[in-house]
Amino acid sequence: MARDYDHLFKLLIIGDSGVGKSSLLLRFSDNTFTGSYITTIGVDFKIKTVNVNGQKVKLQIWDTAGQERFRTITSTYYRGTHGVIVVYDVTNGESFANVKRWLHEIEQNCDLVNKVLVGNKNDTPERKVVLTEDAQRFADTMNIQLFETSAKDNINVEEMFMAITRLVLRSKLELIERQNFTQNDTVNLRKTNKPGKKNKCC
Amino acid sequence: MYATKQPSLRIKQADLECKNGCGYYGNADWEGYCSKCFRNHMDQERQKKSRQSHAEHSRAHVSGFSKFEEKKRQQTDKKNKYLKSLPVFRKSSSAKESGKPEKYIDMRQANPDADKLLAEFISSYGEWGEFVRKDFFKCVQSFTTKILSELDAKPVEDLAEIAQNYYNLYNNRVNSNPVYQAVTSEVRDELLDFFERYCMVSLYRFLFCPPSTNDEEKDLTIQDRIRKLSWVNAHHLDCCISETSIEVRDLVYTAINDLLGMDSMKAPQEKLTCVVRCCRSVVEVLQHCQGGPVSADEFLPALIFVVLKANPARLKSNILYVTRFCNDSRLMQGEAGYYFTNLCCAVSFIENLTAESLNMSEQEFQAYMSGEITCVSAWESALVACEGMHQLCEHLALLKGLSERTTVVQDGTQKLREDMQKLKDEINEKVTSVLEKTPLIIKPRKSPIPLSKEDFPILPPSPIPKVEDEPITQNEDNQNPPHNYYLQNLSMSQINLLDSTKNKLQLDITPCIKIPNTIPVQSSQSTDFLSPSPAHENKSIDSLTPDDNSYLGLSKINYEIDFSDLSADNSIAEELTTEKCKSPTPSFTTPDPFSPVGTSCNIMQSPLVPSNASLPAVIEVKPVKRDDFVLPFLENISKQTAEETLLDKLEEAPIINLPSPIKPFTSEYSGFSKQGSKIPSIPCNTGDFSSLNLSQSSLPSCSKEIID
Repeated sequence: MARDYDHLFKLLIIGDSGVGKSSLLLRFSDNTFTGSYITTIGVDFKIKTVNVNGQKVKLQIWDTAGQERFRTITSTYYRGTHGVIVVYDVTNGESFANVKRWLHEIEQNCDLVNKVLVGNKNDTPERKVVLTEDAQRFADTMNIQLFETSAKDNINVEEMFMAITRLVLRSKLELIERQNFTQNDTVNLRKTNKPGKKNKCC
Repeated sequence: MYATKQPSLRIKQADLECKNGCGYYGNADWEGYCSKCFRNHMDQERQKKSRQSHAEHSRAHVSGFSKFEEKKRQQTDKKNKYLKSLPVFRKSSSAKESGKPEKYIDMRQANPDADKLLAEFISSYGEWGEFVRKDFFKCVQSFTTKILSELDAKPVEDLAEIAQNYYNLYNNRVNSNPVYQAVTSEVRDELLDFFERYCMVSLYRFLFCPPSTNDEEKDLTIQDRIRKLSWVNAHHLDCCISETSIEVRDLVYTAINDLLGMDSMKAPQEKLTCVVRCCRSVVEVLQHCQGGPVSADEFLPALIFVVLKANPARLKSNILYVTRFCNDSRLMQGEAGYYFTNLCCAVSFIENLTAESLNMSEQEFQAYMSGEITCVSAWESALVACEGMHQLCEHLALLKGLSERTTVVQDGTQKLREDMQKLKDEINEKVTSVLEKTPLIIKPRKSPIPLSKEDFPILPPSPIPKVEDEPITQNEDNQNPPHNYYLQNLSMSQINLLDSTKNKLQLDITPCIKIPNTIPVQSSQSTDFLSPSPAHENKSIDSLTPDDNSYLGLSKINYEIDFSDLSADNSIAEELTTEKCKSPTPSFTTPDPFSPVGTSCNIMQSPLVPSNASLPAVIEVKPVKRDDFVLPFLENISKQTAEETLLDKLEEAPIINLPSPIKPFTSEYSGFSKQGSKIPSIPCNTGDFSSLNLSQSSLPSCSKEIID
């Protein structure tokens, strides 16, 4: 079937409430900041198509509620997710401390998923509490890529989203390759059906 | 406004509840009972039936048997429950439960919604040729038969898997089968969507809340839970819904209605559409409340709030149905998927809600849940307040309209008052001008007296001759008055009484008209000359015989009294007549200027108009009578009227002699004399009437008395 994209990925933004998840999303999808701009539809649901290595990738990014009280119930969000963006606020130490719990949450809900760590609100150095070194060290130990962004000043936002897209795409292609490999090993009578299946995500 | 809008979609909770009143929700399929009560009800029915069918069996045996049956069922229930938890055994147990696929197929064929969809399919996809249609229905047929055949053998999860497989199969088919080659990609998507919709609508009865699951129990649990949580308000959820704003309230209600509408839809994607609409309304609410883009941090609490306030029927069944049978790809992506996920989260939050999740102490939470603290929910009170505000607004609008109308009325009254004042002045002017000309009254009386007596003998015969005598009576009538004069003096005393009452009436009116001096004069005069016609006639008759004329004129006066004894109209009529007496020609136009006088005093208004009308009527009466009986007599009068002018001149001379101030005295006194002069005229009428005794019914009572 003819579609306007080659891949469709679902990304999830998680993190404490008030760290700027929605702002990041808004900046990325609409290239706007929440200041006084009133969007016609909520930022909850955004779709953006990007081009990675000549392949059109459609991203749909789901915003989630970050409050502590909703933590146990957000597992539903993880269904069919390809990548997760974990956000903390560089001016808020507690939000960084909670990152561990968020990562744990991901582990519980997804088997294999790509993650990035994002320190948002990186625009006022004097208010910055979470040092880049600490964050980087933590990211290294968890084997996650770290980005420090500012949705307000539009710093690093695009890069961060492209990075997670690339990660997701790469792992998907790897998976398909592996499947092809295993399928090549056996005799597949319905090989013709495969390219069609390729378009489907997970 | 809202009061009118709201009830249309809202069904009272009591209407949904079980007929038995157990507090759970009922269902039309279960005759309005909830599942438990329905089961009991059916048991009772069955027992009754078994009792009837086994009437020959002993009572003990029956009860024993039913007991046994109940025991057995309980056992199977238990077993089923146990088996349900173990998917391995599901197959056998559900197979036992029911095994009549034919019945289901029959029901499917009678599905009106499916028929509707069929028509829709033909209208929208018919253009793609018969092959597409045939293939589509082939697939639908194979899907539905597959599901129906597996319906009793497999748990619902397996059925969901089968459905998903079929969606994929059809998807592949549409994209690869040469039949669909001509079909554009958009239509292919639509076809896939339609396939899902059509199949699900057809199978809705069997797949929604299937008997093999405990979906219904879950529904009841969550419903009960939500009911217990009715005290939760937006504040508890840290959600920024401003409960007091009317716009917000309307939007929240829209959202609630959308969510409630979910249960009435059959296809999963239709249910999803409802969810999406609901969520969009919620987003709108939030945008309204905080005036900016909405993040999930705010959205989820708001959605939870809406779900709590909506308490949708069969919520859990709906969610499970959509999760199972909606195309997976739809659920995992797109707006619908996102919002549906949020709804699932909201429901699971409600299910797992604890004191901690509402940021309150366990103690407080328990107090709320047990109803110890009955907090007046801000939402409900806000509703009341809003309703009050609303009514207030409506009432204000109403009052505004009323005040506008009152000002209009006030303006009207002001204008009317001015008009009345003007009229009074006018009348005053007229009256004074008229008064200058009036004093004609007095002279004729003295002359009639000597002439009167001759006619005495003629009067008695007058009652006896009837129609035949008419020509004669005419002559007699002219001579009658003197004879009656004395008789009438007696009867006139009664009339005087009447007149005096009229004077009184007029006096009552005078303050309005403000002609204190003139009115008594007029009234007294008026009693003398009641109608314009008599005046004319007087003069006209005078030309022949002055005495008779006066009587005749007076006889006409009696007419008027007779016709209008009881009404105060007379007084006005009399006033009018005075004018007419003075200026014969404008006499008929005068009523018009006077009618406003009546309007000035509301009480007088209505009587006055008739009086005006009565004046011409009085004049007309004579011609009518002339036609009937008295023709010659009146003809004489009419001839005589032409000769008035001479008499007028004669009469005017005394007018000048009598200045207006004197009138009151003279008139009061002369009233008697006049009446005396008039009285003889009354017999003339009576003579007339007596001659017309046949038609006595037409005669007023007064005249009868006079005759007596």
